[in-house]
Amino acid sequence: MAEALLLDTTHSSLPWGIPVAVDLADARDRELVERIARGEEEAFRGLFGRYAPTALALARRVSRQSSLAEEIVQEAFLAVWRNPAGFDRERGSVKAWLMGMVHHRAVDAVRREESQRRRAEESRRSDPVVILDHADQVVEAVGAPQEREAVRGALDELPKEQRQVIELMYFDGLSQSKIAERLGLPLGTVKSRTLLGMRRLRSAMAGLER
Amino acid sequence: MRDHERIEERIAVRALGGLDVVDAEALIAEMAAHGPSCEECRRLETEYDEVAGRLAFALDPEPVPEWMEDHVVSLATGSGEPLRVMSPRDQRRARRGPGGVRLRPLVAMAASIVLFVGGLAIGSIVTGGDRNEIPADARVVAFQGEPGSGTLSAAYTPGEPGVYVLGADLPTPPEGQVYEIWMIEGETPTPGPCVSPEADGSLVAYVDAELGATDVMAVTVEPGTCSTAPTTTPIFVAELTTA
Repeated sequence: MAEALLLDTTHSSLPWGIPVAVDLADARDRELVERIARGEEEAFRGLFGRYAPTALALARRVSRQSSLAEEIVQEAFLAVWRNPAGFDRERGSVKAWLMGMVHHRAVDAVRREESQRRRAEESRRSDPVVILDHADQVVEAVGAPQEREAVRGALDELPKEQRQVIELMYFDGLSQSKIAERLGLPLGTVKSRTLLGMRRLRSAMAGLER
Repeated sequence: MRDHERIEERIAVRALGGLDVVDAEALIAEMAAHGPSCEECRRLETEYDEVAGRLAFALDPEPVPEWMEDHVVSLATGSGEPLRVMSPRDQRRARRGPGGVRLRPLVAMAASIVLFVGGLAIGSIVTGGDRNEIPADARVVAFQGEPGSGTLSAAYTPGEPGVYVLGADLPTPPEGQVYEIWMIEGETPTPGPCVSPEADGSLVAYVDAELGATDVMAVTVEPGTCSTAPTTTPIFVAELTTA
């Protein structure tokens, strides 16, 4: 029933004309977290099946190491199981909370291992900064294609220099000072570009339901 | 009307994981000046954390290995072994074998353990071995904390990596927040695990860290998503010496 509602719901006023039904998706996510708090394994499996593919992509993108990424995702989901009360519905969506945990752990792991950082930099030198042009993969994640298209649309709308600092910071795990060093920019410029870009993203994503 | 421009700038960078320590400290000071009831600060944190969390969905999802779901579920329900990248520390621990203290019974015993600090040999409390064990020759050091905030101790073996943190009578963190454990060498804090005590206030956590000649451990209250740098004043502090 929940799936049917998800697929039937559209919001025509959203940017890029993308039908997004993630409001109900988040309602379902919240229900899953509530059930996890009651110790329901099936709910935990539900949340894992829904978000592990994206969590793994994020952890792998930041850490650039498959085994480490799997460990990061494992730890993040275990944190959900052990402390579902850590989710505060007043502070955002389940998906953002979960990806925040994955991202923090991935960034921490990368910064702990300088040798890993060097490998990442070598890899990055051979890759373009923008990494969002891969062909979609088929995954069983309800609503994910729409969400992905919407977020990519928001990033595409950013001026190149704002998008660059945001991607280096978020997807490559670089600190603001490292980015300034790498791009040869004053630190203040990196900060201001980040803020301007994040304001635009916030505005664009405000059109999306949770 | 308070000026939130600089706070907003730092919150936005922090949400992306890019805040340097200096700016993290500055953000703490600024937000402290605004006070915990600053609704604008809270709104900015919420909105930028949401934006950052959603950026993950710009990536193509990756196929999850078939074994992974069952493995994570088995860990969650207590019947599995954690997946870990085998570092030299893990290999040493795996070789160590039986002879230490199991974590699970230790949870119930944490309250009594933390009453005795300073070179306490705890190997005789419970025997039997698996990877979740505290070595029999562990040194136990008490954290300093505010009266009435429970007790916390660190158990570690000088010369060996890793620290177990044992707590009792700990208050539950505010809703949406967790305790985050930090290893501080010099002036650089390295984040450890984010944890919450059990319903009875007990806590057992493992910090995967290489100990220097002297390290300071600290515990702060952080958002449930954990922080890359401390955002609040430590509520517990302990000095670990390996000499």
